[in-house]
Amino acid sequence: MSGQARKICMLGDFGVGKTSLVSRFVSNTFSERYLTTVGVKVDSREVLRDGADPVKLVLWDIAGRSALDALNTSYLRGASGLLLVADGTREATLRAALDLLMQSRALLPKADAILLINKLDLVDRWEVAPATLAELRESLPVYETSARFGDGVERAFADLAGRVAA
Amino acid sequence: MNAREGSFPPEIENLVARLLIERARPLVVCCDRDWRIVDVHGDVEAFGCDGRGEQDCAVEFEELFLGLPLDEPVDLPFVQLKTGRVAHVSLVPGDAGYTIVFLDAQLEHDRQRVQQQLGNEAALAGQQKTRAIQQLREIRGELEQQRTRLQEANALKNALIATLSHDFRTPLTSIFGYLHLLEQHVDRDDDTQLSLRAIRRNATYLLTLSENLLEYGRSESGATLLNPEGIELQALVDDLDAMFRPLASDLGLAFLIELEDRGEQRPILDETRVRQVLVNLLSNAVRYTARGGVVARIAWRGDVLEAEVRDTGIGIPEEFRERIFVPFNRGVRNGSKGAGLGLSIVKRLVEQMRGELTFTSVAGQGTCFRVVLPTLRRENGDADRIADEGAWMHSHSALVVDDDPDVAQLLEMLLVDIGFRVRVVHDADTAITEALANPPDVLLVDVELPRLSGNTVVFRLRAQGYRGRIVTLSATPTAEARAAAIAAGTDHYLTKPLNIEQFVRIMRRAVGG
Ligand SMILES: Nc1nc2c(ncn2[C@@H]2O[C@H](COP(=O)(O)OP(=O)(O)O)[C@@H](O)[C@H]2O)c(=O)[nH]1
Ligand SMILES: [Mg+2]
Repeated sequence: MSGQARKICMLGDFGVGKTSLVSRFVSNTFSERYLTTVGVKVDSREVLRDGADPVKLVLWDIAGRSALDALNTSYLRGASGLLLVADGTREATLRAALDLLMQSRALLPKADAILLINKLDLVDRWEVAPATLAELRESLPVYETSARFGDGVERAFADLAGRVAA
Repeated sequence: MNAREGSFPPEIENLVARLLIERARPLVVCCDRDWRIVDVHGDVEAFGCDGRGEQDCAVEFEELFLGLPLDEPVDLPFVQLKTGRVAHVSLVPGDAGYTIVFLDAQLEHDRQRVQQQLGNEAALAGQQKTRAIQQLREIRGELEQQRTRLQEANALKNALIATLSHDFRTPLTSIFGYLHLLEQHVDRDDDTQLSLRAIRRNATYLLTLSENLLEYGRSESGATLLNPEGIELQALVDDLDAMFRPLASDLGLAFLIELEDRGEQRPILDETRVRQVLVNLLSNAVRYTARGGVVARIAWRGDVLEAEVRDTGIGIPEEFRERIFVPFNRGVRNGSKGAGLGLSIVKRLVEQMRGELTFTSVAGQGTCFRVVLPTLRRENGDADRIADEGAWMHSHSALVVDDDPDVAQLLEMLLVDIGFRVRVVHDADTAITEALANPPDVLLVDVELPRLSGNTVVFRLRAQGYRGRIVTLSATPTAEARAAAIAAGTDHYLTKPLNIEQFVRIMRRAVGG
């Protein structure tokens, strides 16, 4: 295999858009339909970087519900990066994402983590307040994204790629 | 019964093995350390591996075990393979490479998926239902409010159109016409000229009143153009005195109007509206007083104008107090001859000037209306403003975010006109970069951008800690849309078609102008 590859785990409550973000990023597609992920699906895409070697992100899309118990299983092992996802229209999913971050950090202290607040296209229905995100930004990178339209998606993955490749 | 450890009889072991193998359809792949397939046993078809190139398989295996310590076994339940099949995948390290075992888990996966899907969808639907009910409640409240507003406005408008077209406009035109004729025929120093001037003055008030009524009928919502100017209180009081004293004396009433504290100052107020408020209060007082008299006091307190109109008239019975400010409340007060518009106009005008209107009344004994009007200086600029304009000019910047070039240009022209330096951008990302790199004094965002709403721009900026002033423009005049914009972090929500005066005021206020 050419260049470097890094394992990234998608973590977050069910229905926040993990699977959608991966398909937007990997194949530039989106489906309105919600299909619960069970277990794990592995996908990958190479990220080109300015003035540095490309890095391949191997994305582990883990089931929303089993994510917490997945911490004990082998899904998370070997990950260099954590991509936490919350749904802006459901405040509770942000708390869930932060919980997952804490627990996974204990398991993977060296992994880089970023937080995506997804469904930016529904911003009029967001329960997450901008001030909350401004505060969170002090402790980890936060991106507002829309898997539906693609906004913020490239940038978020590129940022994580840069972090895990370093 | 004692269960014995250890092996089963060979025929049983064979049976169990056959059943398990049938169900799991195992595929065993041996690879070297570069994931090149060396050997394959078992059900190739079940995993659809047969049609694929070795290279693809090597990549898939490598990705699956990336980052794991490969000197110990790995076990991954429910892995969705590139072929779409779901397998339980295990890796066993060996001397020369790895053995990877795939066991079919499609059935179990599908079963769990159906179960979880139901659970997840139910949870999501529950949340949505709660939210939808909440929204419906809000919408219903809003609709009710709107209906009341519409009914009022409608009644007002209909009556106004009728009143203005016949009862005001036509006679006023003929009054002015005859006045003009008379003024031509009367000698300049004749005393009659004084009388004609009085007629002209009063006819002018009537005209002003009718013009304002028109405006009142037109502007159902939003602020109306105020016209702040330095007013001569003594002259105003003299005019009112000249207007109402004859009226009162005809009715056998005492009449007194006083200006307290006559200083040199010329308070900045909207003269036409102040006059109209007082004219209405005084004419009501005179109209509803049979015995006694009317006393009005006006005082300038440095930053507010206080006016009080007291009469000894029929008073306002308790049960009508709510309704006297409702337009066309004809019949609320006994002996009412007017259209029942006066007090609703007074209230409206006082609100427009951000003043206060209160009253006390005792049925059968009299009524006292009090009006407090703040100076318009701070809100709307004042006489000094022209001098300041030069310094203010171009010291403030605005960033306009609008994808429609025509609208953007209009906004730019308006803003340049009132002294802003203006930058225009057409999409969300540029807006965010630009606002963060070079924060404007005011950011003006159109909600109706293509795809993502302008609220996302506001939200993303606020989520980055952006603290600058933001004004949102929208074509949606609902409380819900406003709430969404405010929640995203905007400071002001203006609806289109733009009320220019309000827009200018808010833009000025946004930069402390
Ligand atoms: N409007 C909108 N819907 C989204 C977005 N991302 C995902 N969804 C929808 O949200 C639901 C759950 O998405 P999914 O990716 O399956 O979430 P997961 O459980 O975290 O993998 C699906 O119906 C998606 O179509 C988004 O950015 N905007
Ligand atoms: Mg999923």
